[in-house]
Amino acid sequence: MTIKSNLTVIDYGMGNIWSVLSALRYLGCNARVSSDPDVIVQSSSLLLPGVGSFRKAMIALQERGLDQAIIDAVQRKGSKILGICLGMQLMGSRGSEDGDMIGLGLIPNPVDKFTPQEIGTGKVPHIGFDLVHSSPESTLFRGLSRAADFYFVHSYRMLPEELKGNVSTCVYGSDFVAAYEQDNIYATQFHPEKSQTNGLVLLKNFLAQKYDA
Amino acid sequence: MLKKRLIFTLLYSEGHFMLSRNFRLQKVGDLQWLKSNYNFSHISFSIDELIVLDVTRGERNAEAFCEALKSLTDGCFVPIAAGGGVRTTDQARILLRSGADKVVVNTPLFENETLIEELASEFGQQCVVGSVDIKRDIDGEYQVWSDSGHQCEGGSAAQSIAEVIQQPVGEIYLNSMDRDGTGQGYDLHLLDLLPKVMPKPVILAGGVGNAIHLAEGIADHRVDAVATAHLFNFVGDGLKQARQSLIERGVDLPVWDIQLLEQHLWTNKTAQCLPA
Repeated sequence: MTIKSNLTVIDYGMGNIWSVLSALRYLGCNARVSSDPDVIVQSSSLLLPGVGSFRKAMIALQERGLDQAIIDAVQRKGSKILGICLGMQLMGSRGSEDGDMIGLGLIPNPVDKFTPQEIGTGKVPHIGFDLVHSSPESTLFRGLSRAADFYFVHSYRMLPEELKGNVSTCVYGSDFVAAYEQDNIYATQFHPEKSQTNGLVLLKNFLAQKYDA
Repeated sequence: MLKKRLIFTLLYSEGHFMLSRNFRLQKVGDLQWLKSNYNFSHISFSIDELIVLDVTRGERNAEAFCEALKSLTDGCFVPIAAGGGVRTTDQARILLRSGADKVVVNTPLFENETLIEELASEFGQQCVVGSVDIKRDIDGEYQVWSDSGHQCEGGSAAQSIAEVIQQPVGEIYLNSMDRDGTGQGYDLHLLDLLPKVMPKPVILAGGVGNAIHLAEGIADHRVDAVATAHLFNFVGDGLKQARQSLIERGVDLPVWDIQLLEQHLWTNKTAQCLPA
């Protein structure tokens, strides 16, 4: 059975939205896919996926007028949003992949490449299943173990320093932000749609979350 | 600390899934067979990654393969790699749009290095899996083969592997043609062919007959992931049990709790997607 939902998956031409839609379908959620700023402004629930480079993706959002539509929906209307992987990074203050570029600014910290000092002998990209340590107050991780496995594939990361809100971390040499949530803003550096049962439960938690602006 | 992985490899040819023994193919069943007799949607919760290869000898029907891939990957929530006969960036792109996250390449590693560079620059290195088939010759020396095991690359296998690793591939799939489909266990000597400092993840394949073989492979510090392509050895809930026994042996695999899914997703399903 499919259920009519007000979730819009933002399509800006970057990355494979097939697997995100497949996971949402499995959860009984028949999401809308759109690259129309008017549709996005009016959605109460947004999902920003993405695979690729920060700079290219930000330009793709700007060219379609989607950056302002997302900011309006989230900050003015109080729509909830989940950013996944590059989608989370774009929500940061800025990114340095392929040259400095301003982000959507929904999360105040920047996104930079893993440094050798941080990761020691670890390899970049950070690819594979790794443990995410979440806090008991987290709504995204509700029902999951406080240390649960999720699938990562990335070379750039956000550091948790001075970040307000609910931060879940992964240790790759040192801590980086694996997931973030504050009010109506949710983000994961990992791919829940590639993280088996854990990812499906997390997506379900996002879908079930009500936020009253 | 990244976890080790258990990978299931499906071999596809002209609408059917195949059993391979020393690279000789035997037809097992079509997609319907796989879904009904093998309960694929269920076993997909016991693996960490899925690899689907079009092993058709001769001309392949890419469109039919992509349809099968789409059907298989819908409801499979792990990273998915696909390949077999990929010779152009466009072919790779079609696979990536049909549910694959990575592309597996074999023959172009030896015949068309430019393609490997193009794939890496277009989709990123992490998207390219270099598959290397290895067989002992009559003197017992290892040789690397390409073109579905038809073309011997000559020279030393260690040298060929070193050259593959130099290319912009994200990981290496090491497959023993001698052990393929025999159920005798992995050929762990293949790992001695790798350079001492191995900068890329290694997937070991060829020969698994039971969970102990998987454990033997995964226990080697040079192995990041173990794969099996044997459709019969893990039929029914075989993969689920194998995974459980690996975890009980202390292997650091990701932990998936299917019961959790049942508790959270199958109760009150309709309430979850209403507009906020």
